[in-house]
Amino acid sequence: MSELRLEGKDLPVSRTTTLGNRTGSWKYIRPVYHDRVAPCNQKCPVGIDIEAYLNLLREDRLEEAVDLLLRENPIPAITGRVCDHPCETACNRRELDGAVAIHAVERMLGDQALTRRVAASPVTQREQIGVVGSGPAGLACAYHRNRLGYAVTVFEAADEPGGMLRLGIPEFRLPRAVLDRQLEQLRELGIKFVCGTRIGKDLDWSLLASFDVVFIGTGAHLARPLGLAGEDHPAVRQGLEFLQEVNAGGRPDVGRKVIVIGGGNTAMDCARTARRLGAEVTVAYRRTREEMPAIREEIADAEREGITLEFLVAPVGFGDDSEGVVDIVFERMVLGEPDASGRRAPVPTGARFEHAVDLVLLATGESASLEALPPSVQVYRGSIAADRLGATAEGRYFSGGDVAGHDRTGAHALGAGKRAAIGIDRPLRAQRASAASPEAVPAELAALSLGPQGNLSMTRWRHDDPVRRVAPVDEVVSPELLNLTHFEPAERHADHKPNGAAATTFAEVNLGLTRNEALAEAKRCFNCGVCNGCELCLIYCADVAIRRATGAYRFEIDLEYCKGCGVCAEECPRGAISMTREGL
Amino acid sequence: MSQIMIKDALQQRELMTSGHLACPGCGGALAMRMVLKELGERTIVTMPACCWSVIAGPYPTASVQVPVYHTAFETGAAVASGIRAALDMRGDTDTTVMVWAGDGGTFDIGLQALSGAAERNENILYVCYDNEAYMNTGIQRSSATPWGAWTTTTPVAQPQANPKKDIMAIMAAHRIPYAATATPAYPTDLVAKVRRAKSVRGTRFLHILAPCPPGWKYADERSMELARLAVRARIFPMLEVEDGQHWRFTMDHPGDPVEPYVRAQGRFRHLDDAQIALVQERVDARWTELLGRVMN
Repeated sequence: MSELRLEGKDLPVSRTTTLGNRTGSWKYIRPVYHDRVAPCNQKCPVGIDIEAYLNLLREDRLEEAVDLLLRENPIPAITGRVCDHPCETACNRRELDGAVAIHAVERMLGDQALTRRVAASPVTQREQIGVVGSGPAGLACAYHRNRLGYAVTVFEAADEPGGMLRLGIPEFRLPRAVLDRQLEQLRELGIKFVCGTRIGKDLDWSLLASFDVVFIGTGAHLARPLGLAGEDHPAVRQGLEFLQEVNAGGRPDVGRKVIVIGGGNTAMDCARTARRLGAEVTVAYRRTREEMPAIREEIADAEREGITLEFLVAPVGFGDDSEGVVDIVFERMVLGEPDASGRRAPVPTGARFEHAVDLVLLATGESASLEALPPSVQVYRGSIAADRLGATAEGRYFSGGDVAGHDRTGAHALGAGKRAAIGIDRPLRAQRASAASPEAVPAELAALSLGPQGNLSMTRWRHDDPVRRVAPVDEVVSPELLNLTHFEPAERHADHKPNGAAATTFAEVNLGLTRNEALAEAKRCFNCGVCNGCELCLIYCADVAIRRATGAYRFEIDLEYCKGCGVCAEECPRGAISMTREGL
Repeated sequence: MSQIMIKDALQQRELMTSGHLACPGCGGALAMRMVLKELGERTIVTMPACCWSVIAGPYPTASVQVPVYHTAFETGAAVASGIRAALDMRGDTDTTVMVWAGDGGTFDIGLQALSGAAERNENILYVCYDNEAYMNTGIQRSSATPWGAWTTTTPVAQPQANPKKDIMAIMAAHRIPYAATATPAYPTDLVAKVRRAKSVRGTRFLHILAPCPPGWKYADERSMELARLAVRARIFPMLEVEDGQHWRFTMDHPGDPVEPYVRAQGRFRHLDDAQIALVQERVDARWTELLGRVMN
């Protein structure tokens, strides 16, 4: 080593690094990476890891995104069309420039999934699973049991599977080709469907004795009469029954003027279907637009198609007019105090008026049909009594979906079917585990939960998450945990794009997103609570103490040198780093 | 794209090591790390007395992996001029000679040497990382300390009474080929300016705002946030000046109120609403003046 000399003297030159200074000893708080729960994930009734599939899509890993989605959702091409997407209501981007168009992205991924060839799941378990009802709840239970290695048979009363998806949802919202291909894929997985067989009527429950477990997901199809005078008039029909007829290919004569009673999705579907059959349609709802339970986009579509919405009116009776025309008597309502649903209740004013119409469609809700249940299954307040995992008092029977009193959406039914699949697996897995197998039984359901109020994750139940999760924290990311400085505005893509055609055909109305648009939406995602490798922590570390890593996480913090300034945690755009007390 | 992905804008190389002696959350340390990433190994640094004299490590250690000459307080630019001349004699025109000085060594004590080098248009890059006081020696005011700030030599009873010296105008008046302001809170902007500066011959001047948790008195983790607040509120505009005449902004300055920036710092805690309004007035006036320069 040559020393520098000046006028005969050595110049002092520093030739070693400062790595001998363990500056990490200065700190009293330290940064840790961990994954929190994105609010969309907690709000998804199905329990999909939305954040993770958006992140995969963001990285242009389309097929992996589809795989991840399919781990939790058996029918994404369908939910991507008909789900009421509470995920978007929860999205933290909402306040900045509109929620990520999750629903539409799911549809694009779902359509991608439909193009796949599906291989049958290997049957690895000896227990036989029977599923009664092939609506979303039954399909979800069957799908997840199948993927867990069980032989599954689904019984359906109608001639074709799908339940409410087939009977209740019009083709212009859910094309039959999509539904059929989705169901075909479930068959390809190895799920057996026995259609045209109503258990409890065509076939006695006792004949299902060969099944170790039976899941009951028979839905809610029973018309609920209004109890009004003249309701039995032939021009007063149940909306759901009307939809079933049209969805099965029927084209009944609806006359010139139709009134639909109700404000939910069935009401919108009835109105838009009647419109396509040539009628002038009015939807009469007893509250106001704000209280309507229908999906907003469907309301907008209905209005665009020329359907009139009339608020604060309730039918009080039906009179017979001439020539099959019915006189419907309405009473004007006002909004009163909030009721049990939290919405303001309609209060009658006494003011009445009449309309003469050709057809009245009642879309005010349905009840579960409970008379044909096995005697050992208990009913409570109009639903099958089942716990969160679908277990009934009789150990062989599980239940979920509308018939078990869950929220009346397809997404909630899918979530309930999945929970029941876990519920069915639990005792079976416990048995296998006790037979000296190392297979672990997760004791706490909370460990499976996507956030304190979220649904359970099948992926976590199976212990095979392809997306690395680091020290998951059961905390949902609030906007305060984000650092929005690092985002620039990016407008939400219109996720609902009407085809522009007149409402005369049953062609699908919503065109959905292109692949590039879906990719752009994925890039809008904040990835709340989960590191996506943006490297801001690394860029902003003044102590060069954060390094890229290939182990359990994308980065590692060298605690020998980290001084605990907290800039990384502060700058992290998504709340994936927290400062914790040193030594804890 | 929604998140501004900046990782690809920065070089991956690290010419700074851990174990340096900067305070937690130091804006000056981060500034050096980013600047060296862009300048690369072929860099020689002269460093007059400043915080970095300590951060660089006590003998025999060094926290940067390029040659550093610790110099007397007033001689940063002069020593750099000499090194440049020696390199030129040896035919080495590639190596960047950088002065790395604090605001004391630039605005006050080193101004004469800087002015001389700039006047001769020495082929050096002069970087002032400005933490707005003599922080290393215990927070004494400099001519870069903003109006109204507490320091140990401008106590609350008599806070800093003079406005911050307009160093960019001084450098522009020397007609040097390139001068710019920057902050590590905007890494892409900062490294773009370093890249630009590196490519220009002659005297180049970079004025980097370097938030200082102990001197400004705020929580360590807020360093980048404070720098951003200063830029957004037009307290520290992001500028480039070519040939001392062509001024331009390098980003938008929305003109947020100064109050959140001021209130976030203990050094301004004694200011009442009327005084903060005065700060706002001064910032607005300087902004108007600056617009005049940028426009012409």
